Amino acid sequence: MQSKIIQVAGLGFTIAYAAFIVWIYATEPRTFKEVTTSAEVAAGTYEINQENFNSALSLFRREQFRAARDEWQRADPAQRDARTQFYIAYSFYREGWGRLYFDQELFKQGVEAVNRAIALSPAGPLTIDDPDLHMHAAAELKAELEQGLERNWSDVNPLKVLRTRK
Amino acid sequence: MTTTDTNAVANRSTNRALVDFVVLPFLFLTVALLGGLRIGAESRTFIFIAPPLVTLLLAVLLMLLLVRGGLLRFHQWVSSDLPPLTNVAHIWMFITIFFASAQAFNSVLPERGLLHWLFSFCFLWTLWNNQFSSFDARRLLRSLAILFGTAFVLKHLLLASLYSPEGGWLKRMVGTLLQGVAIGTLDAPTFAPVTGYIAFLTLSLYVAGLILLAFAVNGKTGMVSHTLVDEYRQLSVAERQAIREAILDDPGD
Repeated sequence: MQSKIIQVAGLGFTIAYAAFIVWIYATEPRTFKEVTTSAEVAAGTYEINQENFNSALSLFRREQFRAARDEWQRADPAQRDARTQFYIAYSFYREGWGRLYFDQELFKQGVEAVNRAIALSPAGPLTIDDPDLHMHAAAELKAELEQGLERNWSDVNPLKVLRTRK
Repeated sequence: MTTTDTNAVANRSTNRALVDFVVLPFLFLTVALLGGLRIGAESRTFIFIAPPLVTLLLAVLLMLLLVRGGLLRFHQWVSSDLPPLTNVAHIWMFITIFFASAQAFNSVLPERGLLHWLFSFCFLWTLWNNQFSSFDARRLLRSLAILFGTAFVLKHLLLASLYSPEGGWLKRMVGTLLQGVAIGTLDAPTFAPVTGYIAFLTLSLYVAGLILLAFAVNGKTGMVSHTLVDEYRQLSVAERQAIREAILDDPGD
């Protein structure tokens, strides 16, 4: 009887351990901190660091986009919060926007971030209520970023300098 | 049977179950976890390398060798006479041994380049040749310890020194010997020195697991022989005589 209990407990314990190993190789965490963050995400207890988020927001409003992105990345290390990813994408947009040209590299990263934000809100369209922003919907931001990446004849239009940043 | 004997039998049975169903799978799974773990030389972060396809092939050959060497006894451990749960637990242990073997190879194989294929070929050649040699568990264990030990020394001492960013002793020596000769084709990624310690721990756990497995096998064989002897003693004198003669006539393997 005792042997049977050991068999069942051993099987359960080692199968759980094997699942953990598969999960580790699938998520490839780089540090112990990332291991715990990934575990929180898997357990559904993951939350962003609100303090870092607010600090990033204030930097964003002062147009210090790189610093803001650093703070947001610290606030959401697992990149699992749609709102934070939206703001990161927006910071790429604002930093990359220029009257004469758009920074293609920053816009590409912006598209990646906004795609992450959209993917993280499968329940419905992602909308951010922030009066400081001109675009509130993730779809709108994505369209703007993608438009910035396209090359067409309107790029040589001199009236382009009159456009405004959103 | 006295109470002390009964207790000893019960303890033996419990300990054997603990080793078979908890300790051994745990050891082999730990090898599977650590076998693909490297630490980046500059970033000092974890790098997990899934077992390449060739290591799975090597693991299959090694499993066949373990069966031939008598370390794995499928016919005794998975049988229609055993309870289903025991069969499942034994199959699970075989799976853990398979992945531990693959990861043990992964830990001593260079990650890419010509050296990866060179090492893989050497392993394949050795394991393939061993398929046709006569082995017992003890000789097989010794052979495997030497095989993994040699690969460990080659990869984590010699090659690590050759590709060390700080310039290890071997790099300086080779640099002096092969002045002007490019060794770009032997390109290999560099990892932090702690990777070598992890690989050493991995291989030690793997070999320790196999040694423990050999003890478990011997224990089970002992149990089988005890049962046979008990059954033999219950036979009549004429039947015992017939069996003795049959055994003496048996040429054996």
